[in-house]
Amino acid sequence: MAQHLLFVLFLAPLAAIVLSLILRHSRVAEYATVAAAIIDLAVSVPLVMQTLSGPVIFWHSYIRVDTLGTWVALCISIVYALSSIYAVGYMRILDEEERLPLFYALFSGFAFTMLAACVMNNVGVFWIAIELTTLISTFLVGFEREAESTEAAWKYIIVVSGGITLALLGTVLFYWGGSFVLGPRYAMTWAALHRSASRVYQPLLLMSFLLALVGYGTKAGLAPMHTWLPDAHSESPAPVSAMLSGALLNASMLGIARFLSVVSGTSVSRFAHTAMVVFGIFSFVLAALFIVRQSGIKRLMAYSSVEHIGVQALGLGFGGVLGVAGAFYHMLNHSLNKSLMFFGAGNAMRAYGTKEIPGIRHVLKTFPVSGTLWLLGAVGIAGAPPFALFLSEFTILRAGIAGPYRWAAVLFVVFLIVVFVGFLAHFRAMYFDEASEEQLPQVRRLPWVVWRTLPMWLAFLPILVLGLWWPHGLWDVFLKISVAMAGGGQ
Amino acid sequence: MSLTHLNSLQASIFSSLAIVSLLLTFVMLGSHWLRNYVYAFAVQSWLIAALSAAVGYFSGYPELYVIAALTALFRGLVLPYLLMRIVDRLHVKREIHAVLQPSSGLVVGAFLVMFAFVIANHMTRQTTSAAHVVVLALTIMLSMKFIGFLMLSVRDEAVSQILGLLVLENGIFLGSQILVPGMPLLIEIVILFDLLIVVACFGILVRYLVVHAGTTSSRQLNRLVG
Amino acid sequence: MILSNILLQIGQVLCVLLLAPLLQGFILKAEERVQRSRGPSILQPYRDLWKFFHKQSVVPESASWIYFIAPFVSFTAMLMVPLLIPVLTDRPLPLSNMGDLLGGGMVLTLGSFAIILAGLDTGNAYGGIGSSRTAMLAILAEPTLILVFVGISFLAKSMLPFVVNHLLLGSASAYWSPAHLFLILAFFALLLVETDRLPIHSSTHFEIYMIDEARILEYSGPLFALLKWASMMKQFILYTIFCNVFLLPWGMSQLGTPFGQLGSIASLLLKFLLIALTVVVVETVQSRLRFYRYQEPLAAAFLFAVLAIVSSQLL
Repeated sequence: MAQHLLFVLFLAPLAAIVLSLILRHSRVAEYATVAAAIIDLAVSVPLVMQTLSGPVIFWHSYIRVDTLGTWVALCISIVYALSSIYAVGYMRILDEEERLPLFYALFSGFAFTMLAACVMNNVGVFWIAIELTTLISTFLVGFEREAESTEAAWKYIIVVSGGITLALLGTVLFYWGGSFVLGPRYAMTWAALHRSASRVYQPLLLMSFLLALVGYGTKAGLAPMHTWLPDAHSESPAPVSAMLSGALLNASMLGIARFLSVVSGTSVSRFAHTAMVVFGIFSFVLAALFIVRQSGIKRLMAYSSVEHIGVQALGLGFGGVLGVAGAFYHMLNHSLNKSLMFFGAGNAMRAYGTKEIPGIRHVLKTFPVSGTLWLLGAVGIAGAPPFALFLSEFTILRAGIAGPYRWAAVLFVVFLIVVFVGFLAHFRAMYFDEASEEQLPQVRRLPWVVWRTLPMWLAFLPILVLGLWWPHGLWDVFLKISVAMAGGGQ
Repeated sequence: MSLTHLNSLQASIFSSLAIVSLLLTFVMLGSHWLRNYVYAFAVQSWLIAALSAAVGYFSGYPELYVIAALTALFRGLVLPYLLMRIVDRLHVKREIHAVLQPSSGLVVGAFLVMFAFVIANHMTRQTTSAAHVVVLALTIMLSMKFIGFLMLSVRDEAVSQILGLLVLENGIFLGSQILVPGMPLLIEIVILFDLLIVVACFGILVRYLVVHAGTTSSRQLNRLVG
Repeated sequence: MILSNILLQIGQVLCVLLLAPLLQGFILKAEERVQRSRGPSILQPYRDLWKFFHKQSVVPESASWIYFIAPFVSFTAMLMVPLLIPVLTDRPLPLSNMGDLLGGGMVLTLGSFAIILAGLDTGNAYGGIGSSRTAMLAILAEPTLILVFVGISFLAKSMLPFVVNHLLLGSASAYWSPAHLFLILAFFALLLVETDRLPIHSSTHFEIYMIDEARILEYSGPLFALLKWASMMKQFILYTIFCNVFLLPWGMSQLGTPFGQLGSIASLLLKFLLIALTVVVVETVQSRLRFYRYQEPLAAAFLFAVLAIVSSQLL
């Protein structure tokens, strides 16, 4: 059963790519992508349920379908679905009709490689999938062919490729360490690495883990390796920003989480968790400080992504059932909320013709419905109840206070307040500040409103629901994940 | 067959190939001309292919012959050809060393090699195979990584940065041939092709940089700040 | 008939003293011949020294006692070093444990230092230029030289040049080890620098380009002859160290018979022929570097020395 579901999961985006490239018709490409994304979303939910009884390994143990991977695949499919709906309306505004089929082909290819990374059992093939996501998304980032977009794409590919070569070094060193225990030839699966981890020379194990953490952390956007993130996320078209922020960062966190589970139970586990906490809190603090001083609307969202990745790293670092559950619940909520924010930002950018916050005023007056959604999303992403991010952050906080990292939990709370005030100050300016007649921006009413507002509703409602009610089924999933991470994949 | 049972002839062949590869990295660090970087990279790739074949011959991993042939072909011929095309189109011949002069770069590189040696020594202290060639491989892998990152951070030109990345990959490949020759064939082949795709993407991107941003020097790509 | 040790040792010093101008003459002629001109005779430096010894010495008014003793200090230093290094014989002679490699290097530097002081002594502008440039080159080159000696000591586990020579003669794996090859390259670069060959070349008649020669512009007559002879002997000594300790340790007399000594001298000249030809080829291929780029070949030499030390630990 899992095999069939997986087959459909991968066939859908592939079909979309093929259709877009062969038929070269914009409308066909758009609808094919939306259809593929919705099919993926429909398939990924039962896939998660399938893994509740245990991981499924097949295809010469190259594919591993377990709760951790499928949960991340679910988050990715959600963002894929929402962004593809939004992209239909947004990209039509951009006036690039001939290149749209290429865009949608790249878009589905991007989703395909990220989903592939979620189910890879072999550590080396996982690295290859992540590298492919970098390559495909570079062209998506630089799609608009402006000077700034090209610069952002260049910075993205250089920094991230340099980072993941570090991850490759870590992978090779892990394999080498394991070869002393398991012999010179063995399949490089996550389970094999975990089996050998306790008998490998511990400094070597620690160095490999730190290299993998820094390497995949570059891709995930942990500070201080996050320097590509604000540029790439702000210069790419809004649906691509949502995918980058909501899906790609999750795939990289998956890599970090799997490596963390490999070293769990060994003597370096304590140091590894401390390293995660340090990176997490550093990202959080840095992002909080940058959020206060931002002037670009999409860069603001990008730094918010850095902040939330820091929170996820904190959750994984705090460990235990609460920490892990909080981190993965946060992954889901962040994907939903960040998509909402980027959609709203894209709408505002196109309507007001500028990316600068001082140039956007009277949003509520001009766009009552989508403006309200955007404002509520902003309140949610700053971490306030009754939205879902509050619940996941609170869970992580509970895990932190109980454990040995109380200092990090305290810093977390303090800078959470900073983020809340800073982030909402920008929104207050955009919504409620007065602007004089000359400063009043010329607002354009753009077509395709339904395509651009529907995904915002679809992203907003789950945030509200999940903030008020934590479904019991989800708790089972997180319990399974945290057990898998503590005991390692078997 | 593990690498603890090497006789001195095999050890010296492996060591010489690895050390000359490291030397070529220093050529990249110390030269002014972009073409020299590409030539040094090509020769380095051939040497690593020869190393791969030698490891396969002496340690009994016949699939490494395939890898050696593919490396010599793709990393040694196709990649330098693509890079030369990029360099020719760029109308830029020299690297302007604004941050680190070549001579200081050589000295910094020497200190990085010493640092890598200290780390490698520490890592292999308790492992059962105390073969010197293993420590050497680890040292050279780490030093090529450090030097690759040095090139990435202090260089201006886009092509130099691409070469920094390729040196990083070459270093890992060199180390993995000696440390883990049994690594699955599929992984190594796919990484090889992946590198090809990477350089092709770089070629396209450099073209975009020239056309849209007007320059390939990262000193002037500073529109996005904050 | 085995010669006594004292005769052998005097023989070594005489060999250096008398054959140094021959080497210089050969290098100059080879340079010219490579460029398809006639070139001076090989024995020309002997005639030059003879001429200078018979000329009158003109001393500037501002010269002090340093001006007078510097040539003697330099000459004497050059006479001392052949006692320490293997020139003709393979086995250490009695006075050779006065100093090891490092000691020999320091005595050489003492000679150079004395001439630097002499260049500053008279207050001449060109003397100042020459002294400061020589001092800068020394700052760049001396650490590398010390690292080369450290490297060779790691390889041979001793600082005596004779032990190094025996090691390289005895084991092929030590000779072909990467450490040794790197040290050869590093020392070759240093050789080019210390003997003033291109790319540092300053044997021009434009005073403003001079490095070493500008220091001795004020000298004339016998003192000048001593200085010239000392610089030729320094070149000879450096070549000897390069050949007998690093590169070509073969062909030296082991027992100490007169026939062996003659054979040793012949092989020495043959080895120097090879090295001098290499130096001439290297010189002809390059052009002169700007002063600010002198750090580049020296940084490369430093790099080689460091790599040699690291690989001697690894293998």
